[in-house]
Amino acid sequence: MSRFKKFLAGWSLRSSTPSYEPGDVIEVMVTGDAGGETVARIGDSTLRIEGAPDDALNTRVRVAVETWDETAHRGTGTYRETVGESAF
Amino acid sequence: MNDPQDDASADRVDDEPPDDPPDDASPDRVPPDGAPPNDARESAGDTVLVADGGVGDESAATNEPRIAFYGGKWASTIPLALFIVWAIFQSGVLGIGDTNGLVIGALVGTILGMFFARGDWKTYADTIFEGMTQRVAATAIVAWLWAGMFADTLQVGGFVEGLIFAADALNVGATTFPAAAFVLCGLLATGIGTGYGATIAFVTLFFPAGVLIGANPVLLFAAILSGAVFGDNLAPVSDTTIVSAVTQDADIGGVVASRFKYAIAAAIPAFAAYLIAGSIMSGVSLEGAVALRESANALGLVHLLSMGIVILTAVAGRHIVEAISWGLVVAVAFNLAFGLSSVSDILVFTVPEAGTFSSLPFVAVGETAGVGGSLYTGATGFFPLIVLTLLIVSMAQIMIRGGGFAAIQEFLLNSVATTVRRAELTMVLGTATINGMITINTAAEIAIAPYIARIGEKFNINGYRRANILDANTSALGYIFPWAGGVLVGYQVMVGPGGLGEQYGPEMVVNPIEVVPYVFHGWFLVIVFLLAAITGFGREYIPDRISEEVSRA
Repeated sequence: MSRFKKFLAGWSLRSSTPSYEPGDVIEVMVTGDAGGETVARIGDSTLRIEGAPDDALNTRVRVAVETWDETAHRGTGTYRETVGESAF
Repeated sequence: MNDPQDDASADRVDDEPPDDPPDDASPDRVPPDGAPPNDARESAGDTVLVADGGVGDESAATNEPRIAFYGGKWASTIPLALFIVWAIFQSGVLGIGDTNGLVIGALVGTILGMFFARGDWKTYADTIFEGMTQRVAATAIVAWLWAGMFADTLQVGGFVEGLIFAADALNVGATTFPAAAFVLCGLLATGIGTGYGATIAFVTLFFPAGVLIGANPVLLFAAILSGAVFGDNLAPVSDTTIVSAVTQDADIGGVVASRFKYAIAAAIPAFAAYLIAGSIMSGVSLEGAVALRESANALGLVHLLSMGIVILTAVAGRHIVEAISWGLVVAVAFNLAFGLSSVSDILVFTVPEAGTFSSLPFVAVGETAGVGGSLYTGATGFFPLIVLTLLIVSMAQIMIRGGGFAAIQEFLLNSVATTVRRAELTMVLGTATINGMITINTAAEIAIAPYIARIGEKFNINGYRRANILDANTSALGYIFPWAGGVLVGYQVMVGPGGLGEQYGPEMVVNPIEVVPYVFHGWFLVIVFLLAAITGFGREYIPDRISEEVSRA
């Protein structure tokens, strides 16, 4: 990202329920793994992640989005790789 | 009290797994902090508790606690809780803004907590070391040392005097003086990174000149504090900026760039408010323009370039150590080239008797042997804060290993921060509350930083946004209330021995309680973030863009 763009980033009213398109590859923090489901909560939207490792909770992973329901603010995606971990 | 019957395993809860490292050996996993690979860490055997990444290890916060306490997991909060009570009593109740005092509070809290630890106290003691060796603390410490040297070199290079020249050249009058003080103090604080330093410099030099010209003393003091808030919040070399970035896994340059929108959104109405209030609130009419002109020096303004180099280099993505080093080199060059300071103002070895080396420009003869100069005072000025930081992060680590951290986090996530909007409001109000209570805002910021990271991450809130929420309230609340460190240091200049009150009379002393409503930039910054949390202004999620992480802090 250029220096100028860094100053302009975030000048908007961002939705609490962000949406993604099938085919998007995004990095997310894994926020839950209850009931055998690995999920990333992004704002108030939820992305269910298939194929994530057992210890994925609180790690940052790259996910390929497969489906997205704009109304329910829910989607599914496939785990690609782990790229980081929690700041704390 | 330690129970002699406890064996080595008793320092863990019953259903806890043994000391094996967490199963995070995914081959493609990249530790963001540049830590050794997992196999290297595992080879540490029994010492894995010490070597597995400290607070940065999420397993510690989510798995079962490793230190068992008499009184359960909540007892692991005793060291940090006692420290916070100490800090509130010392700074809030008694009004003593002494970082060294807080260091003793942290030591006493850490010792007291040990008496509640079950089993072998070695685990508790090891956790202190584990906390202190975290990269997050080391990164902040390195940045502080560099920032301190840079800031003091600008100070001895007449940057304040340059700003006074600018005010004089712009023919600032009584009504516009507070607005000008806000802008110029904001510039100084952005350059030197320390709001406290900017407050002291401006209350010493700018405040009496403004009051003598006829500006309202309460409004002028508040405007200076507002400028300090602005710089503390935005400067890449500010201690609070550094802490906010490194604790949220974000690079400092990116944090400064993303913070600009909030700072400007608060600063523009604050500037207007000072213009309006300046024309309404009258002052004591005395002729002081001469006093103002006496200390003015146009050449000091060259340090706007030194400051600009640091900001631009950091925003361009260069490592903060590199960015400040360049700024420091340029500042030293300007000081010497333009005669703004001598070599000995920057670095001096003082010897009691003249000798072979006393002809060197950085060797002086004085009564007491020692080392001095801006490089020395700038770096050593941060020593108390460095020690305090190490102790705070080790107390936080004890809380993590004891389960108290996870318990508080669970409560917040399950009961309070249930939506992203509520999570951000919790982060804003949480930082505001703790900074409103603890005088020394950097200490408060370090204490609450892990919660901001975890709550934010649970909603995939970007590291830049988390850092901005954390720092805005830290900076703002540190300069508003009468017990706040920024207010106290300015007040001390007025009432201290040989202070403004003694020099000019009681008109030069402002009651700290009176300035509270007029620290416009501080209040507006809090309001901007409350509105930002509610409306989503500036909100960014982790998938939006990736912070460049602390490797480039």
